[in-house]
Amino acid sequence: MKSKRRVVTSAPAGHTSKRRPTVRRFKSAILPASTRVPGGSVAAALPDARASNGAARDGSRLDGASSDGSAAAVDLTVDLGRGLVLDNPILVASGTFGYGVEYGEVVEVQRLGAICCKGTTLRPRVGNPTPRVTETPGGMLNSIGLQNPGVDAVVKKYASTWSAWRVPVIVNVAGESIADFTEVARRLDGVPGIAGIELNISCPNVGKGGIQFAIDPEAAGAVTAAVRRATDLPLLVKLSPNVADVRPIARAIADAGADALTAINTLSGIAIGPGRERPLLGNVYGGLSGPAIKPVALRVVYEVSQVVDIPVVAIGGVTELPDVLDFLAAGAVAVQVGTAIFADPTLPVRLVDELAEECRRRGLAGYATLVGTALPKRAAPPSSKGVEYRP
Amino acid sequence: MRLAGAELLESREILPGQWLQSYHAPELVAGARAGQFVHVRTGDFSGLVLRRPFSFNTIDPLAGTLTIHFRTIGRGTEWFTRLRPGDRVDMLGPLGRPFEMDPRTQHVLLVAGGLGMAGVRALVDEAIRDGRQVTLLFGGAGARDVYPSALLPDEVEYVVATDDGSVGHHGFVTELVPEYEAWADQSFACGPLPMLRSLASLASSRRRRLGVASLGRKRGAGRPVPAGSPQARRKAFLQVSMEQNMGCAVGACLGCVVMATSGTPQRVCREGPVFGSDELEWEGGW
Repeated sequence: MKSKRRVVTSAPAGHTSKRRPTVRRFKSAILPASTRVPGGSVAAALPDARASNGAARDGSRLDGASSDGSAAAVDLTVDLGRGLVLDNPILVASGTFGYGVEYGEVVEVQRLGAICCKGTTLRPRVGNPTPRVTETPGGMLNSIGLQNPGVDAVVKKYASTWSAWRVPVIVNVAGESIADFTEVARRLDGVPGIAGIELNISCPNVGKGGIQFAIDPEAAGAVTAAVRRATDLPLLVKLSPNVADVRPIARAIADAGADALTAINTLSGIAIGPGRERPLLGNVYGGLSGPAIKPVALRVVYEVSQVVDIPVVAIGGVTELPDVLDFLAAGAVAVQVGTAIFADPTLPVRLVDELAEECRRRGLAGYATLVGTALPKRAAPPSSKGVEYRP
Repeated sequence: MRLAGAELLESREILPGQWLQSYHAPELVAGARAGQFVHVRTGDFSGLVLRRPFSFNTIDPLAGTLTIHFRTIGRGTEWFTRLRPGDRVDMLGPLGRPFEMDPRTQHVLLVAGGLGMAGVRALVDEAIRDGRQVTLLFGGAGARDVYPSALLPDEVEYVVATDDGSVGHHGFVTELVPEYEAWADQSFACGPLPMLRSLASLASSRRRRLGVASLGRKRGAGRPVPAGSPQARRKAFLQVSMEQNMGCAVGACLGCVVMATSGTPQRVCREGPVFGSDELEWEGGW
């Protein structure tokens, strides 16, 4: 049973979570304590009836509206575990924002909640043959194939830049074997400028080491546990939707010590090329993303957030504020924006403003009461009476 | 790189299925050069999630206008044809690296295949503005695909080849190239991959075939230049503008790569779209 949901930083004073061993603090990821809103159970003060349900269900570990009801500054901070505290819950998804520098001229990068950088492997990878991207109805297929210069080059080239940034950078890590994952994690551990790791165990576009870790609970748990032992960095694990039932996998990953889950990676798909002589993409298979996959992402978030106690970061087809609110209602505490950035690079920063505005409009001091509102209401634990008295 | 609104001034179908649109976008035109491109958002947000890249076809910095030239090949380009003067679109640009002209170049050979005209058209204006002599070789499928000479400046020598022989030379445009090879100081091309590949092989054997001697440090020969730098492209006899399916157009998604001789894929949107022909791996599986 879920007794607590670690959602937002300003938990009541004195509360400590047993699932949080060492807290590493990243100056770029933490707001001064004075800017936080004092916590407390204020569900009764909320205008929204559903919100008070949510507050009660989540054990009251929630930001409340300021008790005097005034329109104070909205606190959007969110704690993804191990001291990875984001200013706001809008992240940019791995592979859509490069290393954070590419869009620098047109996007206020420092206002994002966090940046997930391009998937990084131990050794350099040239990626898949072209064409690598194509548009599909309401989405796109990509099969980049994890092109990247390797973890050492990434650290050398970008870490010093990142360490000067206010926005935390989460390095997306991919590998072909558990040893690869742990070695990359070890090389990222303790590097200034790296705020966390997102394990990409679910890339559908590489032959080896892509998907197989994400489709089997044991393998997923094993790789998570191995990386957990290799680093103290906050650890997110990205789930694949290309499985029959994602819940046992999510549970295994959470039990293995992940700090948060990201859901979902792309869905495997293909497109047919001109002349219909062969598949369009150079790699044949690609990953589908964009608004087309939002219902799938919602389903996975909805399922996963009911079976794990760690935060869930939602990703899949976010193009406007209602999408963000939908994912929050389905149990996510933060949202990544991906494909929509290509059409509208300034969207993530705008979503931050719009979410704050939405909270203000509803008279909330934080968005925590918006989280999980659509999850099934659990009134009481299931009775064991029938079992005891069975003849 | 700037993100700005652009207002459609004029839109017309210059050839069957091919459109020329003029936009007023002073922020994007400032500092833009031939070979660069803009990434334009369609207003159809329901199904089209990607922007569409268009080369600058012409650039008028004084008026703050640019034109784009495209063929209707799908829902995105069809959406653009339905725009009316006064409509606004969202453009990101100028993107990519431009063509680099050696300051000593007098004779410029441009080769365009089909819609590749959109890629080199702006360079015609730039070269003529700088007082160079320009020959433009154009290859198309037939008479109905031939870019109207009325849309070109008078100073340019315009030579046409068609696959069906309905206008000009009967055959590929690459067959016209040897005639101009010795005359040209530099050449620039945009078009289908097979055309670029055969031009690249002509360019790589040009010095040997024409018996061009390497005389000391002429054109900076012998001095090492960083691969992919503007100097490297300025030195290349042939520069090509590459095309590839594009996602973000700023270098973030790595969707639009071409393979370089160095073995590292190069992003068309960031390191390109203009490359020296010797920078690219033409025979590889890519």
